[in-house]
Amino acid sequence: MGHDTAEWVYVGVICGILAWVGVDSWYIEKLVDDVPKDAEVIKVTAQQWFWTFEHQDGTKEVGQLHLKKGQPYKFEITSKDVNHAFNMPDWVIMQDAVPGRINKAWFVPDQVGEFPIQCREYCGLLHYNMRGTLYIEDNK
Amino acid sequence: MKTTRKQSMKSVMVLTAVTLSALLVIPLVNLADAATGEKEYIKVRNEVWNLFFRMTTAAFVVGAVVSGTIIWLVWRFRESHPKNKNPTRWETGEEVH
Repeated sequence: MGHDTAEWVYVGVICGILAWVGVDSWYIEKLVDDVPKDAEVIKVTAQQWFWTFEHQDGTKEVGQLHLKKGQPYKFEITSKDVNHAFNMPDWVIMQDAVPGRINKAWFVPDQVGEFPIQCREYCGLLHYNMRGTLYIEDNK
Repeated sequence: MKTTRKQSMKSVMVLTAVTLSALLVIPLVNLADAATGEKEYIKVRNEVWNLFFRMTTAAFVVGAVVSGTIIWLVWRFRESHPKNKNPTRWETGEEVH
């Protein structure tokens, strides 16, 4: 064993951990990006200073969103004026709402209840009050 | 029996290999479990939070290894360390082979 073995082990350990960090993050990102085929599309439109949600059947909701437990949902997020960010902190969902662009996010609610929706990108005077409520109901 | 330098280096390498394999295998097993069964969806928030905790662990491990090495270097190669009592052959100007 040469005098530099310890140094090579050290370099190997650090490179190994960094490689694992890269591969694991890339894999999870790929997994999270993969929207289920049976996901129901919800069009999310942000504007100063409220949220509009349009369900697949055309019904619209303003400032509140009613979803069913166990059903996958895909959000198509855009903005009518300035940049906003669609955020449901309890569900670890945050995606920018940018005018002229449709961003996506998805999730499957697995618990009923009321959860906050908020804007997470400073968008003007009433940004602090650009909130909504997510209602998740039993799918029966 | 006294452990030689070579043996302790070997155990460090084995321990390192075991730790790295565990880091790789555990998430793969979890993902394989999650992928089975029909109409099973991944829970995005769980995946994201689990990734966050794994990355935090990795960051703290790298931080501990790097800072631990620096602390050990400073402690071992200080002037007052007993092993540094006599000047090395590089310091005395002797010919180095």
